[in-house]
Amino acid sequence: MNHLILLVVLPLLSAFIIPVVAKHSLTISRLIGPVVLVFILALVVLSWNSVGSNGFAIFLGGFLPPVGIVFYIDHFSLMLSGLIAGMLLIVWPWNSYVAPRQYSLYMLLTAASFGLVLSADLFNLYVFYELLAVATYGLIARQKNPAAAVAALRYLFVSATGSAMLLLGIAIIYTLTGTLNIAHLATMTDQLHGLAGLSAFALIVIGAGVKAEMFLLNTWVPEVYSTIETPLAALLAGLISKLATVLIIRVLLMLFQQSEVLQMLLVVGVFGVISGEMVAWRAKDMLRMLSFSSIAQLGMIFIAFSIAGEVGLWIGLAMMLHHLLVKGGLFLLADKMQGSFDNLRGYAKRSAMAVAIFIIFILSLLGIPPFPGFWIKLMLILNLAEQNNTLYHYAIGFILLATVIEAAYLFKLVRYLFQDEEAATIVSTPKSLTFWYAQIFALVLLVSLAFISPISNRLKDMASQVANPDIYINTILPSHLSGGNP
Amino acid sequence: MNLLDQFFVIVAVALISIAMLRNIKVNSIVSTLWYVLMVVMLARMSSVAYNADTITSAFSIELLGFRMYWKFTALSWFFSIITVVSALASSLFMSGDWGKQYRQQGGNYGLLQLALILNVVSMLILLASGDLLSLFIGWEFVSWASFLMMVLMPSKTAKKAAVKYVIYAIVGAMALLAALAMVYASSGSLDFTQITDAFIQMTDNMKFGFVLLFFIGFAIKMGLLPFHLWQAVAYAETPGPGAAFLGAISSRMGLFTILVVIVQFIGLGNLEEMNIALPYLNMKSLLAWIAALTTIIPTYIALQQHDAKRLLAWHGVGQGGYMLLGIMMYDSIGSAGGLMHVLNHASYQAALFLTVVAVVYRTGTSDLNKLGGLVTQMPLTFLVMLIGIIGLAGLPPMNGFVSKWMVYRSLLVNGEPLLFVAAVLGTLGTILSVYKLIHNTFLGQLRVEHQQVREVPWSMMVPMLGLSVIVFITGFMPGLILPWIASIQETIGLPVVTYHLGGIEYAKGGLDMIWVSGILFYGFGVGALIFYFLGGKAKRIHQYDNYAGGHFLSSEVKYHYSNNFYPGLMHLIGNWYRGSFKWMENVIVSALSFVSKLFENMYRSRQPVMLLVLVAVVALFSIYKNYSGAGS
Amino acid sequence: MLINISIEGLLYFGAISLSLIGLFGLLVSNNVFRMLLALVMFEAGANLILVLSGFRENGIAPIFLADYSGAIMNDPVPQALVLTAIVIGVGIQALALALILRVKKHYKSLDMRVIRSKLEHEIATQANVEPPGSHHAPKQIVRAGEHQ
Repeated sequence: MNHLILLVVLPLLSAFIIPVVAKHSLTISRLIGPVVLVFILALVVLSWNSVGSNGFAIFLGGFLPPVGIVFYIDHFSLMLSGLIAGMLLIVWPWNSYVAPRQYSLYMLLTAASFGLVLSADLFNLYVFYELLAVATYGLIARQKNPAAAVAALRYLFVSATGSAMLLLGIAIIYTLTGTLNIAHLATMTDQLHGLAGLSAFALIVIGAGVKAEMFLLNTWVPEVYSTIETPLAALLAGLISKLATVLIIRVLLMLFQQSEVLQMLLVVGVFGVISGEMVAWRAKDMLRMLSFSSIAQLGMIFIAFSIAGEVGLWIGLAMMLHHLLVKGGLFLLADKMQGSFDNLRGYAKRSAMAVAIFIIFILSLLGIPPFPGFWIKLMLILNLAEQNNTLYHYAIGFILLATVIEAAYLFKLVRYLFQDEEAATIVSTPKSLTFWYAQIFALVLLVSLAFISPISNRLKDMASQVANPDIYINTILPSHLSGGNP
Repeated sequence: MNLLDQFFVIVAVALISIAMLRNIKVNSIVSTLWYVLMVVMLARMSSVAYNADTITSAFSIELLGFRMYWKFTALSWFFSIITVVSALASSLFMSGDWGKQYRQQGGNYGLLQLALILNVVSMLILLASGDLLSLFIGWEFVSWASFLMMVLMPSKTAKKAAVKYVIYAIVGAMALLAALAMVYASSGSLDFTQITDAFIQMTDNMKFGFVLLFFIGFAIKMGLLPFHLWQAVAYAETPGPGAAFLGAISSRMGLFTILVVIVQFIGLGNLEEMNIALPYLNMKSLLAWIAALTTIIPTYIALQQHDAKRLLAWHGVGQGGYMLLGIMMYDSIGSAGGLMHVLNHASYQAALFLTVVAVVYRTGTSDLNKLGGLVTQMPLTFLVMLIGIIGLAGLPPMNGFVSKWMVYRSLLVNGEPLLFVAAVLGTLGTILSVYKLIHNTFLGQLRVEHQQVREVPWSMMVPMLGLSVIVFITGFMPGLILPWIASIQETIGLPVVTYHLGGIEYAKGGLDMIWVSGILFYGFGVGALIFYFLGGKAKRIHQYDNYAGGHFLSSEVKYHYSNNFYPGLMHLIGNWYRGSFKWMENVIVSALSFVSKLFENMYRSRQPVMLLVLVAVVALFSIYKNYSGAGS
Repeated sequence: MLINISIEGLLYFGAISLSLIGLFGLLVSNNVFRMLLALVMFEAGANLILVLSGFRENGIAPIFLADYSGAIMNDPVPQALVLTAIVIGVGIQALALALILRVKKHYKSLDMRVIRSKLEHEIATQANVEPPGSHHAPKQIVRAGEHQ
């Protein structure tokens, strides 16, 4: 099973090869990326069944923990890897004007994402997180739009400061325990649950929260998403933000499973939801609206994860997948229907299909039955209600209020789309490929409706696997370190 | 496959076939036939209505640990038959010449039929729901189906109204979801029976929240105060027969759910025990007062309208109040009146809407200031409207009288004189405004531009006449309907009414409509006899042969007194039209807008790092505080 | 008293101060380039803290030689980590510099206030909406005498 290391190695390698190859043959350099991605996708699918319910660890170079570098693979990380490969294939820039260097950046992003998903070591997580950040800055800055450079710069300042805080947090943890292997750390959580340990956790959450669009750390979101190309926005909003969330959740589950921490996450989530929806309500153009709504959705995911135990985890996972599908699809669609609401007047006449898909997405986003979003929101709300803590009950109220605001602005836009007189200016020429992808996303959403039960069962299995630190510890650590557990 | 399963199979096939059929003619015929078949199926299930049986569908869905199933009770059957018959009338109405004109004006006829059947299907799903989850899903289906119906009208106002409706509907749905969460939190299940258990376990404050959440959810659909603002415009701005259908039954889904959840499972007795701080006011009487205010305020708003459709739609909001008022009396006769009013209102409201649509079909306008004198051109339509407004105003011998009489009687018997006055006030406004409706449309002098107007074709006439027959027959012989009402009362745990063909038996004075109508017609008969045979001085004159203030009116200036109707009354009550509810709506929007502006400015921070550092400082400080506090 | 302060504490104090100075600089400066320099200082401080976590007083370089005598060694792991972090940091700084050059070229300014408001305006114009902020504020302040 060690071949899964190729997930990180191949994209990294190809990232460096592409510019070299491009000097000789542009066509081949163009093809390297997709070929690698397809190969990885196949790899992920083929190795799905061979990963047992306990997951397994890859020890790089044969060094056993706590010394060596460890990758941990279970169904959850495999699923995320598959999503990464698939999503990158979808947003892959086929346009002829794209420079090979941009392909390199995409491959770098891919490698970093895989690394982030698979690493079982805090420092490696940091390294891959930074790599991801660098690739992202590069991709944003390479946009034709000069405003993107400013957005990228401002993003860089926030993100780099956050990363330094992440590093500080890791440094504190290392000082406290002398190890950075997450499994190893998980065996000595007592040492972490103190003033210094929690501070370290706060710093890690802040560092990763920048990319996870956490409340108050997300000021970059509207600027960046409004200036970059929409497929890239789909990638960032749909996938990269989730990876950062996964990082937070891993650390949280393994090391800091405490009710205060969970409540902190809840509060942050609630603020994210409310602020995101409210500002989105004021938005007058598509991209701004989508970015703020994305902030709100991420807040919702944090709320889900703040429910202790497997339940919160699987709802959170379901939300992540749903948001990936819906927000990704909406951003892809926005490639076609960009600009101010005023410019989108009467769009339904120009492209009924686009508007139909748009409505499917927003209905699911709002949680209207029978769309998948409804079931997720229902489960979230019912499980929040079951918590023995009034804070969680208030959260329900905020979620419901946010949904009303969400409906208000989304249907304001729908009203524009269905207006009879058309906008004077033609918005943008339709780019067929992204539109096709948006259609596929909508189709997947609709088809998933028929498989709600199996999907939710799978997610529950995954959640129970992820939520159990013992599995993680026993798989990664040699028995003498794992506290004698067989 | 029991009858209910067969019924749902038919409904599903109907939906699919109507969605698939592209040919307009075939589509119209087929859809009308489907509705007829649905009526037949409902008739076959009539044991539900007469014997208070329950048919449970064999079909159920297990999902995420919930079991959703569907069943038919007397209550569901009663609302279903109203739904299907209204749909039949609307479908028949639009299938002929009206549909042709609609297409010529650029309307999508197939989509309209599809919207209609979607509304019917979603309502049937809601009406058959067997647990809270299926109820919620059906509820949402109904909301979105009526939204689809509303956006079909190609006008800016219609779309604005539809979007406003969506926002209101979502508020209602979210309130409902919160209530569902409360049920689930206390029992871990969403069965109807858990509502009762959950309610008993709650503290007093939670009970208020619980009942209010459910009530808000349902009241929004029903357009009860203070959530009435969306309904009238949204319903009026719907393509003709669609408006008739929505106006007849759509908002009554709110009443259905109130009956199921609040009356049947929470129980009016429990509401009575929930005392609100004021003396003599408990939860039940609060709801009764909301209902009473709903009868008054929208009715007087209707009085102000000069668009016939809006006038009717506002009355639709107001009449909902009578239904709830009757049910909240928690006795046999009041609740029977409230329930009967659902059917009665649906029948005359649909008829009235259809007459207005017929007038629009011929004249192109529903503006009451631009019509008049049409009685000579469209006598049958006039007749239907006359029957309809007699019903709406609640005068004998039409069915509106029966249900309103029962509600009044119950109010008096239960010692609620204030509520009684309120209800009478509502009826007064109704009579005034329906007179305005029929006068401005059909009476007075015909306008020049309407001289070529003819009666509407039979495809439109038949459903109108059919509905007016229902209005009359159920008024003449309420005993046809009352067995259904009695079954419902039995099903949802209300005192059961004693009935006979002509009306009800009641210790403190019953009602026999056969006698009432008999005497009424006898009186009219005698009057006619005297007038035509003994006096015999009647002289037929031309519509334009008219005098006003002693002056002959020349044929250039058509005399039709329609602008500024009821100036004296308006002078008296004009100050009351302050738009307080609109103001309230605006206050909420402005408050949200203010907060969101704050958030927006937060996101526009000049220093990107500022907030990050702030978060770090706050987080670290609070952790420090937490630990130093714990240490000391 | 003064003598009791260990060298480690002093070093930590220095490192933390350095990162705080960096943060402060990030907050107060408006010039983008200065902000970058502040960021560099902050990162340097964080790196120092990390490398200090492996510091042992009187420790020796962690190299296993033949005559290893069991002396205290500095922890090598943080050093390795910091090396990586420094490399990443340098990469990001270079990228940031490139971005700053591009910004300067396009907006003719390095003032964060100016480029932010220009960015907002540009986003708003592209989307064809009014820029956020006050509706009444003039888009550009025209000083007296600058009228054509």
